[in-house]
Amino acid sequence: MAETVHAEPPLIAGEAVRVGEDGRPTLIGSVCSDCATRVFPPVPLCPECMREDMAQVALGRSGRLYSYCTVHVAPRGWSVPYIAGYVDLPEGVRVFTHVVDAAEEQLSMEMEVELTTAVLGNDADGEAFSSYAFRPRRPEGDDA
Amino acid sequence: MREVSVIGAGMVRFGKQPDKTLAEIAWPAVKQAIDDSGVAKSDIGAAWCGTALGGMMSGQRVLKAIGLTGLPIVNVENACSSSSSAFREAWIAVASGLYDVALVIGVEKLTRFGGGTLPLEREDFEVAHGMVMPALYGMRAKRYMHDYGLTAEQLAGVAVKAHDHGALNADAQYRNRITVDEVMAARPIADPFTLLHCCPSGDGAAALVIAADSVASRYSSKPIRVLASELASGKYLTGYRDMTTPEITVRGAKEAYEMAGVGPEDVDVAEVHDAFTIAELLYYEALGFCERGDAARLLEDGETSLGGRIPVNPSGGLLSKGHPVGATGAAQMVEIVRQLRGECDERQVDGAKVGLTHCTGGGISGFDHGACSIHVFCN
Repeated sequence: MAETVHAEPPLIAGEAVRVGEDGRPTLIGSVCSDCATRVFPPVPLCPECMREDMAQVALGRSGRLYSYCTVHVAPRGWSVPYIAGYVDLPEGVRVFTHVVDAAEEQLSMEMEVELTTAVLGNDADGEAFSSYAFRPRRPEGDDA
Repeated sequence: MREVSVIGAGMVRFGKQPDKTLAEIAWPAVKQAIDDSGVAKSDIGAAWCGTALGGMMSGQRVLKAIGLTGLPIVNVENACSSSSSAFREAWIAVASGLYDVALVIGVEKLTRFGGGTLPLEREDFEVAHGMVMPALYGMRAKRYMHDYGLTAEQLAGVAVKAHDHGALNADAQYRNRITVDEVMAARPIADPFTLLHCCPSGDGAAALVIAADSVASRYSSKPIRVLASELASGKYLTGYRDMTTPEITVRGAKEAYEMAGVGPEDVDVAEVHDAFTIAELLYYEALGFCERGDAARLLEDGETSLGGRIPVNPSGGLLSKGHPVGATGAAQMVEIVRQLRGECDERQVDGAKVGLTHCTGGGISGFDHGACSIHVFCN
């Protein structure tokens, strides 16, 4: 695992996301060493078999958008409007996320999306915060 | 278990009452229920108070106002299902023979939080990442629209029906009729919802007195029998979930119908948890009033309107009557009790014999809903 480098502004997802030296984020989940149940975000206890033998695993960087909607009203701090979505990862894990770099009209159910990071709002002190997010999948090599 | 009936029902009109305390909001509903039941205060063996955000000792604060103290008082929190869960606890206690008469209260004062979306638990991972209830229901709606071809105009029809019914209810927060165009043109909240697709924030209270059938006839000439009292929690899933069908309601409805010995075809009137327009359509299907994908047709054919085959939310529902979270379950029961007694005047469902209430909620990740409580009543 590459050494963790915190992007600026700070990520709010705690141990659920790591950013590599190349700036690319990875979502971290847990897999049960006994029954192979997979969970996101990472947890110390298996919710299926109750064993405390969970190993942290890097999850896939792309998945399918199960549903999404534009949110216009949210608690103070979030930059509205934003697009909320659920992404199903190949590991069988569903992740709640913000969907960025696209207008809602450009999205569709089951479209392929890929992991990125994005500034999502400002905290109580007015400082910007960021987290993981998904965006429509781009062709290989297109990092624009 | 003994048979149990509702012998008293009361509620206050839902709305914004920022200048009143929780107890000041609730006591008139409690007094109305006790007066309606004919019991003496001293006949009440125990009380259960449902509130999601009312704060510590809510039941004691309310019952102090009417001088009903010293008895066991239990405060119940289960999000939107708080007072329906409280009712179930009271039902268990009376059915088991512990008490002959018990009191159920539902109360909430949401104006203490100002406006905006319902405050959710910030320790939750998804809430900490910007999940709000309109977004959760919005994603359900968008997926349902994709899978079943539901249109935004059809969805708006749920709000129009709710307001048509609420206009006939003196206890409703909103008593104005609205049009599809007005719903579509209102302020956007979370796509596809405008403000009029969403239940309002507000304050309110409702209360019920229940009694074992062996003593109910001493007090009431019209006891309303509890045929089923059901409560389920959501199943935690880490992966895929079909958001177009509420699993917790499907499962709970099956249990409730089995307990009641009736089926969906026997239900004459229902109060369901229409926190957002899409929710009512999902519950038509989950409660067995129609097949999967057929909810919009049921609505458009008028089958769930007053005068239709299975009127849903004759009170105006959460969308028009209002949704002071912890008060909602008890208020749904007050409506069904009044319907089964034939006391609803302009919004009376003629000849209603079997009524159902359905109250579900809780915005926490990994769950369809945190809790769901379904009750079936008959006259």
